[in-house]
Amino acid sequence: MDILLDSINEMIAPATAAFALAAIGLNFHFGLTGLLNMGHAGFMLLGMYGYAISTSRGAPIWLALIIAIVVAALFGLLLGWPTLKLRGDYLAIATISAAELIRYLGRSNSLQSLTGGSTGIRGNDFKFTFEELSPLPDENITFLFWTRHGSLSSSWWLVIVSWAAVALFALLYWQLARSPWGRVLKGIREDEDAVRALGKNVYSYKMQALVLGGVIGALGGVLWALGNSVQPDSMGRPTTFWIWTLLLLGGAATVFGPIIGSMVFWMALVAVKGIAGALIPTSVLSPVEIEPFSLVLVGITLMCLVVFRPQGILGNKRELAFND
Amino acid sequence: MAQSNLGGDPLTNRVDRRVIHRALVVLVVAAAAFFLLTAMGSPALADTAIASSHASAAAGDASATATQTISIHAEAADATTAPGDNRVIQQLVNGLVFGLLLALASVGLSLIYGTTGLSNFAHGEQVSLGALLCFFFTTQQPVSLPLIPVEFTIGWPLVPSAIAAVAVAAGTGWLQDRFLWSPLRRRRVSIVQQMIVSIGLSLALVNFIQWWFGAERQRLTTSIDTRLDLGMFSIGQSTLWSLLISLLCLGGVAFFLMRTRTGRATRAVSDNPSLASASGIRVDKVVRLVWVLATGLAAVGGILLALYDNAAAFDVGARLLLLMFAAVTLGGLGHPFGALVGSLVIGVAVEMSTLWVGTDLKYAVALGILILVLLVRPQGILGRAERVG
Repeated sequence: MDILLDSINEMIAPATAAFALAAIGLNFHFGLTGLLNMGHAGFMLLGMYGYAISTSRGAPIWLALIIAIVVAALFGLLLGWPTLKLRGDYLAIATISAAELIRYLGRSNSLQSLTGGSTGIRGNDFKFTFEELSPLPDENITFLFWTRHGSLSSSWWLVIVSWAAVALFALLYWQLARSPWGRVLKGIREDEDAVRALGKNVYSYKMQALVLGGVIGALGGVLWALGNSVQPDSMGRPTTFWIWTLLLLGGAATVFGPIIGSMVFWMALVAVKGIAGALIPTSVLSPVEIEPFSLVLVGITLMCLVVFRPQGILGNKRELAFND
Repeated sequence: MAQSNLGGDPLTNRVDRRVIHRALVVLVVAAAAFFLLTAMGSPALADTAIASSHASAAAGDASATATQTISIHAEAADATTAPGDNRVIQQLVNGLVFGLLLALASVGLSLIYGTTGLSNFAHGEQVSLGALLCFFFTTQQPVSLPLIPVEFTIGWPLVPSAIAAVAVAAGTGWLQDRFLWSPLRRRRVSIVQQMIVSIGLSLALVNFIQWWFGAERQRLTTSIDTRLDLGMFSIGQSTLWSLLISLLCLGGVAFFLMRTRTGRATRAVSDNPSLASASGIRVDKVVRLVWVLATGLAAVGGILLALYDNAAAFDVGARLLLLMFAAVTLGGLGHPFGALVGSLVIGVAVEMSTLWVGTDLKYAVALGILILVLLVRPQGILGRAERVG
């Protein structure tokens, strides 16, 4: 019973919403346009840094958000400019390297006073502007079975805001995907040369998709940071791979795919850890081994999904971005 | 093959001027951003920022030609005059050693890319697997297998354990191709899908290795390496052995590719799989052999790197993977000799960069080089100029 309640609690947690939002961003890249962005965590990390650093230096919340967006957009432009003309796997290698580059820079000692080095930025330094806006009382609130603080850290206030943001951007995706703009992107995914032959500027469309998806990823990063803290090593390559797994799990190129995928992914991860901890004796699987064990399962899930059900839970097999 | 393109046709070898402008602008913007950040971070550090952006520019130029690297770095060193002569030479030697060891891993990555077209993101885990398997066979502490609650001690001497580790690692390569990659190829799963499968495999393997060997850094040997002082620089005795083994392995691969029948078949498959198949080469056999060779070489590289670094952790390969990609892309994707040249350049650039930037940024330099190469010459130094987008 506890395992079930914990799993459902994880399903609505702000971190789940943050990953859903980041996956919506990746859905613009991969689902809609077919871009292999393997550095999505880099966009998230830049958003986090943009928001946290500007807030801790006294910027109001709207300015901090704008800075996060601008930083991610610039990164997208800089990254897309040389790489969007290259073949898919070159883009993958370039994006993954650029994301790691951001992480190395963020955790390096030479930027210690700005980014806090490898320890990152403490939550208290940048969460207050968001928490002051909370209309909820400043105490623990129990709703049905779950207790969270009203407005601090991973609070009910953050739950409401982050899921509202997810709903908003899912709506945006839905509207954009069926607009003429979205149809061009789908055309690029299916056959780039055909779209080029129709006189569309493929490069520019890809760039717009990359920047838009990256900005959404950065906002996902901001939400994640508001629930935790800014820590460069939490946004390494595994994070990108998790976002890919949950996007493919829910179904790429669908409106609800990223959301369902994120919910199922985090719920399943908590459930697997709980069940493995409860059922498997500690002599076989000690508590420290449960974490890597569950992540082995994530990796195997990703492999099986791509091979056996590339359209995920909700997707349509005809709408796949895997056409090389 | 590789060599015939070195001189090359002047038309295909000329770099597009627009591309160079683009690369320069990106470089300047990146350097300016870094400088600005550092300046914002602390005014006192501004001077080092100039030096470091300087260094990254020099490292960027290094990607253009392997031979000029050294001279550029030497000039940059003269300009800053901070580090002494000996340190420059010492770092150069360290870089060459690191590059040679890295080459063992990247040659395999390049061979796999050449014969199957797959960018194998799980190759880094093969490196860590080799190192930690060697630890598994050689350590005097009790060890156990995952899910089996029995502890036992193997404690073989280093050399037999290393050989056993390489054999087991090469076996995993055979198993992978037999049960994973060749069925995927037969199902005609697209390359992009295969690449994401390899990402899933890397995620599964890195956590499996952590589960098996724990998260601590493990030492392969407890003996302390005696350092030989050679005047300008010093080098460890076991490092010399590592270099010898590395050169022998790389020489063996070169001999295999250039002189033996199977090696020629491998190059044929690399060039054009359909044509190779039509002329009677059994492509699947060749690819299987390449997988075994690549994983075995990665394990050798992992063990030697673990000896060079004194210890290995479960994530050592994951951190090296992008350096391998940088090396392979720099040399030209799919060219085994390009991977060697690329690894040496990357190794030297990484180690020399610690003269100007902090050691925690030395891998970042390699990634910067990778991005610059993709800007200016995506086909790499030895690669054919072909349409890549």
